[in-house]
This record gives sequence, structure tokens and C-alpha cells, in this order.
Amino acid sequence: MLNRRVVLTVVPLVVAGMALSACGSSKKSSSGGSSTGGSSTAANTGNKPTFTIAYEGPLSGGNAQLGLNMKFAVQLAVNEANAAGDLPFTLKYTDADDQGSPDQSPAAAQKLIDDKSVIAVVGPAFSGATKAAEPKFADASLATVSPSATSPTLADGGWKTFFRVVADDNAQGPADADYATKKLGAKNIFAIDDASAYGQPLEKAFEDQAKSDGATVTHQSVPGTTQCQAGSGNTQQYPGVATTIKNSGADTVFYAGYYCDFALLAKALNAAGFTGKLMSDDGSLDPKYIEQAGQNVAEGTYISCACADISTNSAAQDFLTKFKALAKFDSGTYSPEAFDAANTIISVLKQLGAGATREKVLAALPSVDYKGITKEVKFQSNGNISGTAVYIYQVKGGKITSLGLASTS
Amino acid sequence: MCLTHHFSSYFIPGLANGFLYALIALGYTLVYGVLQLINFAHSEVFMSGGFGGLFALNAVIGSKTPSGLESAGFVVIGLVAGAVSGGVVAFVLERVAYRPLRRRHAPKLAFLISAIGMSYFLQNLAGKEFGRDARTMKAPFTLTPSKPLFTVFGEGVTVYYAVIAVAAITMLVLLDRMVNATRLGQGIRAVAQDADTASLMGVDINRVIAQTFIVGGLLGGAAGFLFGLGTAGVSYTMGFVPGVKAFTAAVLGGIGNIRGAMLGGLLLGVIENMAQPCIGANWIDVVSFVILVLVLMVRPTGLLGERLGRSA
Repeated sequence: MLNRRVVLTVVPLVVAGMALSACGSSKKSSSGGSSTGGSSTAANTGNKPTFTIAYEGPLSGGNAQLGLNMKFAVQLAVNEANAAGDLPFTLKYTDADDQGSPDQSPAAAQKLIDDKSVIAVVGPAFSGATKAAEPKFADASLATVSPSATSPTLADGGWKTFFRVVADDNAQGPADADYATKKLGAKNIFAIDDASAYGQPLEKAFEDQAKSDGATVTHQSVPGTTQCQAGSGNTQQYPGVATTIKNSGADTVFYAGYYCDFALLAKALNAAGFTGKLMSDDGSLDPKYIEQAGQNVAEGTYISCACADISTNSAAQDFLTKFKALAKFDSGTYSPEAFDAANTIISVLKQLGAGATREKVLAALPSVDYKGITKEVKFQSNGNISGTAVYIYQVKGGKITSLGLASTS
Repeated sequence: MCLTHHFSSYFIPGLANGFLYALIALGYTLVYGVLQLINFAHSEVFMSGGFGGLFALNAVIGSKTPSGLESAGFVVIGLVAGAVSGGVVAFVLERVAYRPLRRRHAPKLAFLISAIGMSYFLQNLAGKEFGRDARTMKAPFTLTPSKPLFTVFGEGVTVYYAVIAVAAITMLVLLDRMVNATRLGQGIRAVAQDADTASLMGVDINRVIAQTFIVGGLLGGAAGFLFGLGTAGVSYTMGFVPGVKAFTAAVLGGIGNIRGAMLGGLLLGVIENMAQPCIGANWIDVVSFVILVLVLMVRPTGLLGERLGRSA
């Protein structure tokens, strides 16, 4: 009885929704797909076709700040390309919010795939979300260039649409381990991951290297909390975990996860009286970590990232100014990478001209060579970026400061 | 092996967690007692208490660094503000989401959906109004264990845990007395036992139900404040997991049974914290729910059975 009632009301709604969305996307494709369409958008842009560059990442939820860092960078790249006025097409920007969650990512991806004007995607931002959505993108031949998904296994998925402009955790994890053991003198390390597709392999890579460097490593998997990401953990788990860490006598804690949960752990460690060193990864490289953990707790924390510190790069100063003007906040973690990812796509579109299609973009990306503000973008055959570089940062005086390359600093 | 050292360093936080679960679980159990339905929006009552306490506490503390008697005063202010917010939200919830359905004799399932709807609504309303990031309360006392209040078996008890214990025990005792020895308690028990007969005997059922919601809301709201005082702070999604856990605790102890909810909450909190050093944080829930299933297999009505109707 109940089932029938539900079916009777839900099915028509779904059908109606599908019909509506189908109308929407077919309209868009007619203005985007052909240059002779003469539709309303083509009229005021001089009959140039319109291509949409989409961004997929968290725009709401506990890790939204990381997502917003990238969103505005992509938007800026699109605006700049249009403003230059030399394009044989008009670029548009759109986005899909996946909250960084593998559960929501396929739906966000589908939204972009169904929008026929979308020619390439910057993202998905998080590794778990990428893993969940990439099969859909691959089926639709819609190329994705992630500025921030660093899980190593993503490159083994066999998805021809997967590209990333950032080094993977196989580079980051061992570099962190070497830094902790050799530069910081860590002997007894407590390593924690957030049980996510991002945290677990990163912790594993870290643990293996730290052990071979001669340190003792205790590992525990602590699921990310519902408060921070779509994890299953309870915020009340951290005091207990902090006690375990303190009782273990560890001198260094390595956290493989994101800033929101890391801040909770850091606070709990502080409350438990832990006085050792804290280290985390690119997921924690965000000023919000300091804000949420509190300055006295966060002070001294080491954070690694495959992302370069561009504040000293003269070519990037223009980007920093314009980013702030657009986003109303400073360029953050992965903003420059997202800018590079978007511009890599734009450089491919420039080559292809007005006749670009999803398939042509996908075919051209493997041979791209674009000089970005963070690095030279060239892809390996599995979609990984060529060359690796891991940087170490530290919280000093309430600010995240670059200490330079992990191997030299 | 895992608990041979530092036993009490896991037991004490576990007990503190257990007190919070117990306070929340009482909200589920009281409402179940009088209406035989699960108020799934109770986790948002808890969340409202967190925000109520946060705003009151941050407003009164300002830029002060409180100590001594002043600290105690601030905690009481936060506790009262949290409890009142929880009580008000629970009262409104009953008026908006339950009473109209009750008047129309809606099926039980409708109440459930209505509660889930209110839960989402309140959660997102809070997210929209108060921001999506977790917010921290200004400390009414120092949270570091460098100055533990006193020690139990060699482990220092921090002020935070002591505050939870004192506040929770006070509230639990008051509630127990209230249900067993006051007119309102008599009304609650009468409605729980047989609503129709109670109404024939002159009990105003609607009034008793509203009061039950308020009592549950006061306890849940106070728990929200105590929870928010901890390192996690207050956020619009804070209610979900503790809500599920407290519901589990209520079932474990025997839903509808007030002392059962207290026992279930304490047990669950302690078990969770004890499981963590032994098998890791990602297995905590597995242990809790395996125990729940085992208990329900042997005693389907929970440890102490369903019996709000009878004098506890």
C-alpha cells in the first residue's frame, strides 16, 4: 500500500524532472554545439560558439573552503580568457557541488555530463569523490583535470578522462616521512588516517617510508566525522584517541586527512596534554585549520603539500591580486593549481578553435605542454603530472609559512 | 592488553560521554513513553541547546578570562540557556510537527516522516543562520589537564569532565524524583500507561504530552551545551551522531524506561571509549551495535524493559 502510494507520487515527479532537465540541456547544446545556430546567446557574442568549463568540488559542508579556493580560481581563468578577446569562442563557467563526498559526486558529475555545453571539467576536488565519479566521466568522454585529488590509485583506474596537475600521495607520503624522521628527528610516530580514499593510502605510504627510515610507527584509522565530511565518525571519539596517542609516548603525530577533523584532533591532543610535534598533509593546508584549532594549538604544526608556495613567484602576483578581487578572500590551498588546471584546458581549446568537442579535448590533453603559475603542466600516460615536488609549511605566528621543498629545507 | 595501563584515562572520558548520551536518550525515552513514537528530531533539540548555550556563554564572557566562582556561574548560565533553547524547540516541535497529526489521528508512520522533515529543516535552518563551520565556545574554565581537579586511580579528572558529571547527575536525580514523586510525573506515567483512561480520569493529555516534550528538551538542550563546551564545538550537524547513539542507548536500556535510558547511555559511552584503544576508532560503532544486537536477542525489550507506565 505504502509502496504503491510512493510509486504513484514519486514516479511522475521523477519523469517530469527528467523531461525538464532534458529540455534544459538540449537548449544549451543548440547554442553551444553549432556556430550557425543563431540562438539568443550566439546573437550577442557575434555568432561564436559557447563552451562551458565546469568545476566539481565541495561548495558546501565542512570542507567547503577548499572547494571555494578552487572555484574562484577556475572562474577567474574563464573571465580572463574571455576578457583577452582573442578567442574564437565564448567561455562560460558552471559548477557542481559534491560536498567532497563520494556519495554525492556521481550525481554532481551527471549534472555536468547532461549539460552538453560543458566541454571539460576542473576537478573533482577530492580523491574519494573522483574515484566515485570518474567512471561516469569516462563513459561520457568528458575530460577532468583535478587540481587536488592526490590519491595514487586514481591513476590506476584506467580512466582515459583522468588528469591531475598535482603530484600524488606516493610523492607526498614518503617525502613527509623523510622530513619527519630526518629533519624533525621523529623516532616514535603515531600515524592516523581519516579512513577516506585520500587519507588511507597517504598514511600507508608515510608509514612504509617512516619504518624504513627506522622510526616506530603506530597506526590507527579514525573515521572523519559527519560534522566535517561525509564520514561516519563521532566528534566525541577524539578525546579517547588523543589519550591513546599520549599514552603511547609518541613524539610526533602524523594526520592523513583534512583540516576540519585535524583541528578537532589537535584540540583534543592539546587538552590531553600531548606536547609532541604535529604534522599533516595538503588536506590540512588551510588557514581554517588555525582558525578552528585555535592559534595556540595550531602553532608549530608542520603541513606538507605538493602545491607550491607562489607568494614569491613574480609571475603569480597578478593572479593573487585578481583572485582576491573576485573571491573577496585570499588565494588559498589549490587555488593556483585550479587556475593552472583551467588554463590548461583553455590552452587546449585555443588550439582546437571553434570546432572543439569533448572528444577532441580529450584527445589533445595527453600532449599538452602548458607553462602555468605553479609548474609546467605535462601529463604522463596515466593522467599524472610529470615530475614531483613536495613542499613543507609550518604554522608560525598564526600564519602558514612556507619552509620550502621537503628535500632541501 | 590494551586496557592494562591507563585504564581510568579511558574510563573517565567514557563516563562523561555516557552522561551526555543518557541525557539525550531520556528525551527519546520520555516521548516514546507517552506517545509510543520515536522523536527523530530530538537530535536537533540537542543541537539547539548547543547554539543557545554558545550564544549565551560567549555573550556573558566577552573578553574576560574567568576563574573560580565566576567560572561556575558562567557554566550555569550556559547550561540554563542550553536547556531553555532545547525546551523551547522541543515545545515548538510538538506543536508544529506532532499535535496537528495527533488531532487528525494520523497513522504512526506520518509522525515519523514529520519528525524526519523537522530534523532536516531545523538542521539546515541552523546551518543557514549560524554558518556551516563549527563554532567554538569561549572557555568558562581552563580545559587543559595540566591542572586536573582531582585524580582517580592515578588519572587526572579535568574540569570539563567534572562539570559534565555534576551537571548530569543533578539533572538525572531531579528527573527521577520528578517522574516518581510529582503531579506532572504522575500525569506522564498515567498517559504512558493508558492514555484514554488517563483522560477519563481528568488528565489533560495534550498538556502532559507538551510538558513531556519540554522536559526531554531541557535535558537534551543542556546536553547540547555540555557537548559544545568540549573540543568539537557547536555546529549545525552536531546532533546527528549523538542522536543516533542516544537512541541506541535508549533501546539498549529499554525504550520508555527512564532508568534504562540512563543505564544504556552510561554503558554505551564507556564501551565506546574502552573499545577505541583495543581495536581502533573505526570499529567503535561495530562494537556498540554488536552489543546492542546481543542484548536485544536475549532481552528484546532492552536491559531494564519497557515500563515508563509503572513507577520506576
